[in-house]
Amino acid sequence: MGPYFINKSNLDRLAKCLSKTYKIFAPIKSDDKRFFKKLGEDGLKDSVIGEIRTVEPVKSFYFPARTKIAEYFSEECPDKKERPIAIIGAKACDLVSFKVMDYVYGQEPFRDPFYVSMRDSGLIISSDCTCYGETCFCAAIGIMPYPAEGFDINLSELDGGYVAEAGSVKGEKIIKEYFRLFQSAEPYIEKKDSNRKKLKEDLLEHVKKSKIPPRDSIQAAFKAKFDSPLWEEVSRTCVECGACNYVCPACHCFILMDQKKEESFERLRMWDSCLLMSFARVAGGANPRKLLAQRMRNRFDKKFNFFPDVIGRFGCTGCGRCIEACPGRIDIREVLSKLQ
Amino acid sequence: MDNPYLPIKTEVLDVIEESHTIKTFRLKPESSLRFKAGQFIEMSIPGIGEAPFTPSSSPYEKDKLEITIMKAGRITSLIHNLKKGDMVGLRGPYGKEYPLAEFEGKEILLVGGGVGLAPLRALFLALVHDIEKYKSVLFCCGSRTPSDIIYKDCVLDKWQGLDKKRIKFRITVDRKDEAWKGNVGLVTTTLDKLEINLKNSVSIVCGPPIMMKFATFKLLEIGYKPEQIYLSMEKNMSCGVGKCGHCRLGNFYACKDGPVFRYDKISHIHEIWD
Repeated sequence: MGPYFINKSNLDRLAKCLSKTYKIFAPIKSDDKRFFKKLGEDGLKDSVIGEIRTVEPVKSFYFPARTKIAEYFSEECPDKKERPIAIIGAKACDLVSFKVMDYVYGQEPFRDPFYVSMRDSGLIISSDCTCYGETCFCAAIGIMPYPAEGFDINLSELDGGYVAEAGSVKGEKIIKEYFRLFQSAEPYIEKKDSNRKKLKEDLLEHVKKSKIPPRDSIQAAFKAKFDSPLWEEVSRTCVECGACNYVCPACHCFILMDQKKEESFERLRMWDSCLLMSFARVAGGANPRKLLAQRMRNRFDKKFNFFPDVIGRFGCTGCGRCIEACPGRIDIREVLSKLQ
Repeated sequence: MDNPYLPIKTEVLDVIEESHTIKTFRLKPESSLRFKAGQFIEMSIPGIGEAPFTPSSSPYEKDKLEITIMKAGRITSLIHNLKKGDMVGLRGPYGKEYPLAEFEGKEILLVGGGVGLAPLRALFLALVHDIEKYKSVLFCCGSRTPSDIIYKDCVLDKWQGLDKKRIKFRITVDRKDEAWKGNVGLVTTTLDKLEINLKNSVSIVCGPPIMMKFATFKLLEIGYKPEQIYLSMEKNMSCGVGKCGHCRLGNFYACKDGPVFRYDKISHIHEIWD
């Protein structure tokens, strides 16, 4: 099916229609950065559909920083139904992060019911990047700045509108239902392809400067550098704040916290950081990663060694958020460059 | 909704003092929680937090289970304050059990140290349940001092008379007291002069990391192959279901791929003994 073209005002109409079913979030721009904002009466008026990824990772909608996951020893089960979430303007790096999250949280025999139900009911309308940011390096690890899969509908911005392509049955249904808002994409396809090609070339040129090893050699290079002074060197300016973990769209680790609540007890699931001293510590004090350098290495181990073995892809999407978030100016690109 | 994070309300039926730092809690969950020897559960103090433990009672016992816990950290200290009649939460069981089918027809060597006897007790009781399936069982137990020996009534008394032909014990303490007449030495010393056909044997080790390390090396030294050694890895299993990331061990999660691992599967991983 498709692709089709939808102009800006029609996309705004579509978003307003969908907001009856979904709680919609789309990026807005503030201070040269992009943030997701809940769609209000103004629709997509202030939204930035193209450009690059937002500051916050898209995981925060499906795996929020703090979620109540159990209330126990009480008769009532507060299973409040919220409207499903629709994201407009997720980028290729966001979509790739779902590959990691879906694996972790959807894995049998114990699926995470909170994540899984939000993913199942949610809607993803992604979009091509129309430029790259200084910290973007997706292309260096094999991800292109335009979505290839993992979306319900993808939008490629051009000429006052978007080429819209369905990527799922859910997306096809929406296009069919609101067919009057779409027109033929025929006159726009060539331009869409040339826009993509141009951005890809520009981005590849940009990431060259980082001297990241070829994608296929990163895992072997990491293994070869396992016992090396590199990790101590890299962690020298780390202040163990966990910011890199929190903004990372593929960092999935969490900690369970229990608390009293009137007549019952509740259990919270909160983001955790593998750079914190207590992360792997057990009762009695044994800790396989006592040293910060070990914990730093562990972060790269997980992303560039564990996930390639387990799901055949990196636990990093090249979004560059951690580079911007780090107060110690630790640059993941630089670390990767030092692997070779 | 099937919620793996939701604990089952569980009553503390009894508290047995094993040593000055170790207690066994006899528990009755409101709904059935059947485990296999080697699997673990998450036990919670309501509103405070939870920690992972491997049950120490027979997996064949219905409706009730026992968990032996050493006072070591925040949660275990609170657990030690529990009294008969108190309520706790349980979730599980989680992880991989001891592969009993692979032990059939074999000479089985159990090597336990300190509170590491807990999972081995569950395993031992499972072996005893079908003892005719196994050639023999040698249970080597090490404790710091005689007063640190847990399950004294079983280890030193009841179990001794079970099946004298098939089941044997070697019990040692690191340091003796005046009353102790038995062996003195680290648990590794009980592995000297084994009357076991190594080719047809498996060994199962559980204890503190340092004890597991030296027991494993000793077993290798006396001729066990890595694929004949099973270890119970103690890691920070928090969610228990392979999601929270805390207990990663190389490409495995101790909570879902373990806690029982065959040594050859994990021997290449850094940090396993820490």
